[in-house]
Amino acid sequence: MAFLANPRQFSEKTLCGGHTEEDGAEHDSDCESASSYYSSDYSDDLEPEWLDEIQKNGELFYLELSEGEEEAALAQAAANQGVSTNHVRFSEKEAEIITEQNKKQRCGSRAKGEPTLKRLARILRRKRRPSQRRGGGKDGGKDNLSSPPASILKNQPGQRQGVTVQPQQLKEVCVYLNPKRLAGPSSPLSDSGGLLEALLGVVHRSSQNRVQGDPAVVRQEERLTVHGLMPNSPAVKCGQILIGDVLVAVDDVDVTSENIERVLSCIPGPTQVRLTLETVALVDDSTANDTLSVRKMKTSPPVSQLVRLLWGEDTAELQMSIGHIPHIVMYLSLKLDSASPQEEEEILYQYPVSEASSKLKGVRGIFLTLCDMLENVTGGRIISSSLLLGKHLVHVGYWKESNNLLVIGLPAERVPLLYLQTVVGDVVRTLKVMYGSLDSAFCKVDHGPRLDHFFCLFFQQLIQPSRLRDGSSAPPPDVSGTLFLDGLPAVRWLTLPPEIKMEVDTVLSDFESSDFGEMSEDFFGLRRLYVILGSCLFYKSYLIANHLPKEDLLDVCLYCQHYCLLPLASEQRVGQLVIWREVFPQQRANGGGSTAPGYSQPQGRHFLLIVGLRHFMQCVLLEAGGCASPALGSPGPDCVYIDQVKATLLQLEVLEAGIEERLNAPPAPCLSCADWFLPAATARDRLDSLASSSPVLSKLAGAVKGSSTGSRGRSLFGEKSRRSSPQRSLSDSGSEGQMDAGSGSGSSMAPGLSPHSTPDSARKLGVRRDSMGSGGSDGSGGSGGLFKIPRMKHPNPFYLGTLKKTLTERETEEMYNTMKLTSGAENTLFHYVMMETVQGIFIAPTHREVAQLSGSIHPQLIRNFHHCCLSIRAAFQQSLPARGRRAADRPQGGGWGLGPVKEHGVLFQCKPENWTDQRKPAPTMTYWVIGRMLLEPVPQEFYVCFHDSVAEVPVEMAFRLSFGLDL
Amino acid sequence: MMLQGGSTQLLCLTASSGVPLFTRGASKQLPFSVIGSLNGVHMFGGGQGVSLSSCETEGGGKVVWRVFQDSVMLIAVTGGGQGGAGSSKEEEVRLQRLLENVWNCMVLVLGQDELANVRNVERLKRDLRSCISLIDQLLEERQEGILGNLTHCADSLLPPNPSLLQQAVDGFAQSADSEFGCLMVHGRIAAATEKWWRLAPQEVVLLSALMRSLSASGSASCDYPVFLPQGSPTVAHRLLRFQLLPGADVCVLCGPTPSLHRAESGLVVRFWTPLVETLRDCLAVGERCLPGSVSLRPAVLALLLINREARRSVSCVRCPTHHPPGDPPLPSKARCWELMKLFYIFSTTRYFTQEESVCLTPEERAQGGNTEDFILGFSHQPLQCYLVTEECKSFGLQTPQHQLFLLTPLSVPTFALRTVATQTLSDVVTATGF
Repeated sequence: MAFLANPRQFSEKTLCGGHTEEDGAEHDSDCESASSYYSSDYSDDLEPEWLDEIQKNGELFYLELSEGEEEAALAQAAANQGVSTNHVRFSEKEAEIITEQNKKQRCGSRAKGEPTLKRLARILRRKRRPSQRRGGGKDGGKDNLSSPPASILKNQPGQRQGVTVQPQQLKEVCVYLNPKRLAGPSSPLSDSGGLLEALLGVVHRSSQNRVQGDPAVVRQEERLTVHGLMPNSPAVKCGQILIGDVLVAVDDVDVTSENIERVLSCIPGPTQVRLTLETVALVDDSTANDTLSVRKMKTSPPVSQLVRLLWGEDTAELQMSIGHIPHIVMYLSLKLDSASPQEEEEILYQYPVSEASSKLKGVRGIFLTLCDMLENVTGGRIISSSLLLGKHLVHVGYWKESNNLLVIGLPAERVPLLYLQTVVGDVVRTLKVMYGSLDSAFCKVDHGPRLDHFFCLFFQQLIQPSRLRDGSSAPPPDVSGTLFLDGLPAVRWLTLPPEIKMEVDTVLSDFESSDFGEMSEDFFGLRRLYVILGSCLFYKSYLIANHLPKEDLLDVCLYCQHYCLLPLASEQRVGQLVIWREVFPQQRANGGGSTAPGYSQPQGRHFLLIVGLRHFMQCVLLEAGGCASPALGSPGPDCVYIDQVKATLLQLEVLEAGIEERLNAPPAPCLSCADWFLPAATARDRLDSLASSSPVLSKLAGAVKGSSTGSRGRSLFGEKSRRSSPQRSLSDSGSEGQMDAGSGSGSSMAPGLSPHSTPDSARKLGVRRDSMGSGGSDGSGGSGGLFKIPRMKHPNPFYLGTLKKTLTERETEEMYNTMKLTSGAENTLFHYVMMETVQGIFIAPTHREVAQLSGSIHPQLIRNFHHCCLSIRAAFQQSLPARGRRAADRPQGGGWGLGPVKEHGVLFQCKPENWTDQRKPAPTMTYWVIGRMLLEPVPQEFYVCFHDSVAEVPVEMAFRLSFGLDL
Repeated sequence: MMLQGGSTQLLCLTASSGVPLFTRGASKQLPFSVIGSLNGVHMFGGGQGVSLSSCETEGGGKVVWRVFQDSVMLIAVTGGGQGGAGSSKEEEVRLQRLLENVWNCMVLVLGQDELANVRNVERLKRDLRSCISLIDQLLEERQEGILGNLTHCADSLLPPNPSLLQQAVDGFAQSADSEFGCLMVHGRIAAATEKWWRLAPQEVVLLSALMRSLSASGSASCDYPVFLPQGSPTVAHRLLRFQLLPGADVCVLCGPTPSLHRAESGLVVRFWTPLVETLRDCLAVGERCLPGSVSLRPAVLALLLINREARRSVSCVRCPTHHPPGDPPLPSKARCWELMKLFYIFSTTRYFTQEESVCLTPEERAQGGNTEDFILGFSHQPLQCYLVTEECKSFGLQTPQHQLFLLTPLSVPTFALRTVATQTLSDVVTATGF
């Protein structure tokens, strides 16, 4: 193979990548001139970091996080996007140690001979690089006080001057240790370091070794100074153990060089230990001091459970914590060989093994019998059954394939029966994408551990999603939301400004043309290894470009969802993510839907390559066979392709600022926060909460504040009325006590008043709606005095009204351009989800847009919205099979349910929590959640949530939304 | 496929031994082996501490199991296929209700003692024959427009002059030494004593069903022993029923006295002869159930109004007099009733609460199906909901006192549905005080 014969090429490329990782400030120019590096003086022979992690079958899942602490530091210096990964940062120190003392041992412990040289070369290169590249380099950045780096290498020579050492500061660090990982190939048990090095990752060199021949030193107890840290070790991952620290105690047991090995060897299994370290504080100047205190205050967020799970650590502990909740997955054989009845012979696969699940396992006979029998009785395959296990209601979903049966049991409180089928269908599809068929997934013995991991992730995500995200500051997860959004046959899409979109597409197309210059096989006149079928690009969990057919996109996305790659990229900065595996895209596996004459799908094998760098993630679908050379055996990841993807991503990083700007832009279509519609919140509150979030909004908010203070002098009345509890409309203000019916939904139920309360007439009688929007103060500005000002109770930052004058012309224009989805004067839109079925994408307000609308009720409202959407979508789904057949063909008078549902809406009422005022009834707010299924012009599903003061026609809203959306 | 699409079969077995007691519904009975397996899986689960409650197959097929008093096992099986897609959830609720009603019906006729302690299976089989006709009535839902079996709210008819009838019923019951009296017109309750309404909703519904089946038999009067499933499951009362006019029956629940003959010859004539004209007016209301004073909007195709406190319901389906030729065809009357039932189940399983679930114990609730778990997931309270399908539009709303479900033609604009519903509610409530 050409590229292996010439390893120079990809290593150079890697180097370019590695180089840019370290050196963000220059990365633009670096990458554009990347070609110039190809022939430059870097000719070392390097192996990529992920090389060790490739499995026997060629699969690779390599995930490396960049340090959270660093992230904080980087946020400060926003312009400087430089990121260095663990490997790069620590290897300098590590390298010194290894080269100086331990080289031979380490080399000996490695099986390969060649890597020795490579390692050495890398070490040398890294030592050389800072001085070589630019005067400052990385170290220059460290000296730069305005943007103090977050690095654990604090006693570097460059920083030594002017540092007064303040000894005797104790700190406690919690570290997660897993003795079982010792056996892993990534941490070879080096004989000199012992457990300290192998388990904890702390390198300590006893002074006997170092100061040899010194007679004064008697071999005895010695303090455990941290001389170095092992990459990827727990010590590094926690980010708080610094070189130079002294390890004093482990779980309150004093340790020295004498007893440390004994203490560590007492750790039986995966657990968390508390280390006490004596640290030295840097007090070189005030800035450094600040940095330190900052560092102390917000210690780096611990690596989340999710990442640990992805790394394959401590699944046991996580699984234990949900052991009491009944859940199970079983793959059962329906064909029993009655000649040799063996115990549990029919169970081909089962997970997990816990008390609750063993009960479900015990009744597998029920599942088998029902599956066997019911098909004959009712004429359809079994889909689900519900059973009561103690106090838990469990829904069991079935999937029959050939002679085997997949059974998944889930607690009813997590997955409503309405949605069980979707969940099971998604798992099955994911498994099929990964393994080709259920049989090949479950029936191979060596798949066992991998499937355990697969289903551990599956159950964890469904049953205790909060545990997985504990490392981040994310709000409590919204279970229905996850269920709903993940269950949509679509990927979350982020609309980008056309320039950026075009650029992204161009970069992707360039990549997909596989014109890798002298790196490509063409260059050597060889047949291509892979054809790039297409790729898609994610930024912070949003799909921003897709060049894959819809079904392939969904396959890829299911895989990403299952391994939580999308939230990972948005919440934590991914240092580097490389995934390589064979996949079986469903559309292609089933012979494909395209039946163009004269065209047949090439019979090839497909591989999925996912590369993530920081917030970007690109998924590439490759085909071997067909017009590329056929793949033999289980080929591992190909460095050239990976490096090309990395290069693409690096090229795209130029656009990051633009995309971020889009994410920070005020939401279009405009959104309102539910709390604003409850009279409890004052206008000032809303603005303040808004102003803190976005620059554009804060400008606006400032304008509003300015104008309102301006009016203070004008009219006492106005000021007072603003203070008084602002009343929106009668139905909102809790004034329903006046109405005799005492009905829950306010005036609309009261007989006498009903004509006024209908949405239709409310529009006409704009006077009743005393929102500021109807104040009509556009023309008259503030001149209205007494009568106008009381109306201005709810300044809506998105509505211009009186503010228009105070804004500059440009801002005004900007504001007019923002899209408003709802009709009527005021923006009443709370949330929306719009799915394009043809493209397989959906749009919804971004996480940031939602976060901007803080407030106590709004998150509740969104949870409620998602829960309701589950029901609405289930109603749409139910009607799908019936659709398409003519009404006349249907049996009249029975058996076919409600029929196809086109539109479904639910009106909700919410009250503020803990309303203490006994005299007044709690104020209420009512809002609609409406789902609409559109078949024309393109199949779409549209879900929207808005305040009930204006009657909306969802079709129109959907049209408005999709019109503004240029896909 | 052994069951035809949409047809339901009801299996009743002894829970301990699995001996079949009776099988009803569907033209062709399921083979014994299938019945045995259906019972067997549930029994097997029971032994392992797992209680199987329901099962669903593609195309809307359903099986629902339930054991009553540890002695009787009821299984309902519905065939799917044939475009039955989609209604599975609704179907399950319907079957759960059916099992509950069938059990109550067995208790009503035989008393709980005989069912709970089965000594002689053959004798029980024989005894059960007496409730077969009532069970068949529940199973087939022969009479259109009776929703009480599903809603557990008594189907009512609002007479034009309720006070006269109320006085007559009160007086009649009193003179028969009873506190429980009821006048039924067209199978719906037109007037009843206060105590009658205090009976458990299931009992009221079941007694109505019994009255309908007794009056269908055509006899002018009868004396029928009944156990009340909630009120007195072990002690029988006498249900005296008299036909006043064809379609109008009156009944009292009483003790050993008076004799049927005495009541018929003395009391019925005394109380009801003066009211014959009133009763005729009442019969004229017909299936509309609402007096002429209430004018429904032309947009209302069908209506179901439930009084949540009184546990009563009024329902009607109207055939619109004039139908614009260009509009899509309106669903037939039978289809309207079916749509109404489905929409009721749809709304109550997902958004609105059903009343009696409040008074159930948690075990019962869990046994009675998994209808509650979805509603509990809402953080805010649903008040109204609507559905637009290819046939019609449906609107449901809930207030502390009422639940209203409406069907309207597709020609009514969606945003006007709410107005139509709120006005209809206020019209009916102000006119009748329902």
